[in-house]
Amino acid sequence: MNTDKTRVVVVPCSGIGKPFGTVSREAAYELCDELRPDSTRLVALAKLVLGDAAARELVGQHPAVTIDGCKQMCASKMVKQSGGTVANEVAVLDVFRRHKDLKPEGIAQLNEAGQKLARVLAEEVAANLDSREQPVKGASHV
Amino acid sequence: MPEFLETTLDKFTFRVAKDRLYTPQGAWVFWMKPEAPNRVRIGLADYLQQRSGDVAFATVQPVGTGLVAGERLAEIETIKAMVELPSPVSGAVAEVNPALDTTPEVVNQDPYDKGWLAVIETTDWETDRAKLLEADVYFSAMQVEAQEELKKL
Repeated sequence: MNTDKTRVVVVPCSGIGKPFGTVSREAAYELCDELRPDSTRLVALAKLVLGDAAARELVGQHPAVTIDGCKQMCASKMVKQSGGTVANEVAVLDVFRRHKDLKPEGIAQLNEAGQKLARVLAEEVAANLDSREQPVKGASHV
Repeated sequence: MPEFLETTLDKFTFRVAKDRLYTPQGAWVFWMKPEAPNRVRIGLADYLQQRSGDVAFATVQPVGTGLVAGERLAEIETIKAMVELPSPVSGAVAEVNPALDTTPEVVNQDPYDKGWLAVIETTDWETDRAKLLEADVYFSAMQVEAQEELKKL
């Protein structure tokens, strides 16, 4: 079985200073470490910005889920600039609009609402992944 | 389509529509004459919406609400902050932009047209109007403020 064809890379926002960026990363960890460790692989946006060969190769070979903290959509843009394909483009703000009660606060440490928002976002992405091909084993972080 | 004054500071470009008046805080007021000489349309200037960040929710006082100039007209929650917008004029809310319910990002995408917030039936337009800034005056003040903000980055 060619596992590479079904693995998805996850690229979250790398912004600092705002809770929405933190939510994107927390959601990515939740997704890759807890919810779908066998079918996802986390790629650091900073590595794509630096042109890291391994990261670019991963993004070039696998569909990407991008989780952006704001509408500048840096993760999505960077995946595309790196030659990758964005299979699912998620913005934290859009998820927050559907869950107004989960207002994220805090940057280094999210408040409870922010943590719940990250969980909700991760679950939504996981559900989206489930509607695609069957997951494969071999999760790791790059 | 209005004409704009435009300035680029660092990587940011800010536009000011020339066909309306402004509050010093960055709300615009468009006098809807001759169709509705007692009505004004209100929204956020480009600089204010960019500085405030992506809009998550925009809540405007409901139609029929009476306001004295300076009372809260709208609350705009962005990814950075909660922005309270005082009404630039006295009167009653006559219309609220229905797009704010489903696509509040329109405030960021098209602040001078589709991203308007409310229409107010004014009760003392001549008095309120005298307190507002012409576009070129607001443009100059906005540039100074933007330059100060950029120094903090």
